[in-house]
Amino acid sequence: MRNTQYIWLGISVMCGIIWVFLGQSWLFLNIFPGLLVGPGLNLEEYLQTGSSPSFTILWFSCLVALFIWLYVTTTSRPRNGDEVRQMQPRWWFAATLLVVLGWLYQLLFSVFIWQVRGQSPTNVSGMNYFPIPPAGWLLLMVFVIFDVILLFWLPTLLASPKTFRLVVPGAVRLMGGR
Amino acid sequence: MQLFAIGVGGSGAKCLEALTHLHACGLLTDTNGNPVRLGTFLVEPDQESTLLTRAETAIERYSKMHASLNKKTTTFARGELRHYGTWSPLSSSSGAIRLDQIFSRPVLRTQAAGLASLFDCLFPPEEQSADLVVGFRGRPPIGAAVMSRVSLASEAQTGQWQQLLGDVKAATGGGETTIIHLFGSVFGGTGAAGVPTLGQMLKNWLRDEKLLSVRVNASLLLPYFDFEGQGEEDTGVHAEARNFQLNTDAALQHLCARGQSCFDHVYLIGSDIKARYGFSIGGRSQENAAHLVELLAALGARHGLQPAAETGYAYVISRAMQNQITWNDIPDNEVVGVGLARGARFAVAWLNNFSLELDRAQAMPMPKFLSGAPWSRQFFQPNGQDNEFQGGRPSIRNVDELNLKATIDSYSETLLQWFYQLSANTGSGFSQEIFSPDLLRRNSSHENDLAMVVRGSARPTRDSDSDTVEYIKVRIDDMPKEQLTSRGVAGLADTLWDQAY
Repeated sequence: MRNTQYIWLGISVMCGIIWVFLGQSWLFLNIFPGLLVGPGLNLEEYLQTGSSPSFTILWFSCLVALFIWLYVTTTSRPRNGDEVRQMQPRWWFAATLLVVLGWLYQLLFSVFIWQVRGQSPTNVSGMNYFPIPPAGWLLLMVFVIFDVILLFWLPTLLASPKTFRLVVPGAVRLMGGR
Repeated sequence: MQLFAIGVGGSGAKCLEALTHLHACGLLTDTNGNPVRLGTFLVEPDQESTLLTRAETAIERYSKMHASLNKKTTTFARGELRHYGTWSPLSSSSGAIRLDQIFSRPVLRTQAAGLASLFDCLFPPEEQSADLVVGFRGRPPIGAAVMSRVSLASEAQTGQWQQLLGDVKAATGGGETTIIHLFGSVFGGTGAAGVPTLGQMLKNWLRDEKLLSVRVNASLLLPYFDFEGQGEEDTGVHAEARNFQLNTDAALQHLCARGQSCFDHVYLIGSDIKARYGFSIGGRSQENAAHLVELLAALGARHGLQPAAETGYAYVISRAMQNQITWNDIPDNEVVGVGLARGARFAVAWLNNFSLELDRAQAMPMPKFLSGAPWSRQFFQPNGQDNEFQGGRPSIRNVDELNLKATIDSYSETLLQWFYQLSANTGSGFSQEIFSPDLLRRNSSHENDLAMVVRGSARPTRDSDSDTVEYIKVRIDDMPKEQLTSRGVAGLADTLWDQAY
């Protein structure tokens, strides 16, 4: 990897951390509370026990996927452009998997865990899940996609090494014409 | 500086092929490092000779590539080459193709009966009636008789000799250092007869024209191959390996006695370990692979370009080990090794990878191609629009660019084949530690590993893991714009040439 790629990788990872652990929660609390709060849901409690863990695991998954991507692209020795381009579907697979996992993590921490434990995360008895309204679910799904873009697409775009530099979707348009 | 190289006979033609490749590898330079202007000329009665065709192919392909590059490169194929064509000593014999037609016996008998008897005494009937269209059949006396009838003064009035000698005159008159270098074997027919005769004729012509600053050198090949098998009864007069030593002895005696009047310097190169070639009387059946001895002969011409060559008359060379040749046995191996290694690595990387990549680019949109080949944006416009130039970068589908690519492909293939034969054709019990022949073949496997193409001391010192075509692509992609000398296929070839070593 070039020195500038290391720098961009560091910057994008730092941005990801700031976004996931600070920026995102701030937005949920201050901009989108109306979309997330359902009947009997304490937003701060939801952010602590539901949203935060699920986005933290998504962040960790993206980080793992990012390092796997960087390891594979750094160590492989493609002989031609076709072999480089073969990584494109793999990138799409990883990105799609991360989005689906991100959605599952939301379900897991908002619904499944409470169902399995038989506990209610709210003050309403018998409601073994966080009662997030449909618009809130939609918002969370969009945030998951945005997180994957920020935590996986951006660093792979900026730091894919060697001949894989332009294989990430959008890289040719954004970085190939210089 | 101008070097006029004249290849006489089949081996002479092969030496000219080697010289052309040396020129392509940037190894024929003057003392300031500028490439010399090379003029090539072939002398061969056997117009069907495969060896002649091979030399002509190498020369023609290099010339075409050089012309197509149109001076857009700074390091790749910079040397100019002008080919003056192929001349047959029989062409001045008014259609005669046999010795008894060239020296008409009835005419001899009526005008000089003694000469006719001498003619019969010197040449047995089978030699008198042998068809010389396939060459002088390994018999120097036949060649000497035919060549001695040639008058350079009259040849200089017309055709190829006129152009060649005119350029010798013009170059010398313009104050350029001019060297004429002849190549040929002294153990066969055409070379043994032609090289000393032509050398003397040229020396005489230069003296008559008062062009005394022109040096006439020669690389004379001593036996370095044998024939597998021999001619049949109906083959007629033909070259026989058992005569090679006899022919050589006679040629060296002649050289000892009269050599100074033919050449300023001679380079004598042969091999005690012989390559084996299939028997042939000449023509299309003569398919002798390239040999290291021919490279050494061509390096004689390179040595002749140096002022140091002023001292001494005859140069010989030997190797350090009995059964192996290494880079240390190659004269000026530090420079020559790098040049040849660069050429071999370029040819492998170009033909087996970059050229295939450019072919692949024709089958997909440019942005898609670019996603797997970031290096290509340095030379071709990234939006891929056809027939438009943007920022000096042509489209990867531009017809002129594709034509240029085809000429580089053609020449690279010739160069690679020569490297392959050079390294594979060593003779039994003899090995070379110069190139890996197996890696010097054209294939469509997108060769990536360059580390083992060159062996021994000329191998680049970089780590073998990073000695790959992919690393070259990465380096090219990382290059700042200002470092690129030109765009398009010429720019790519020039940059690859630079990065290949």
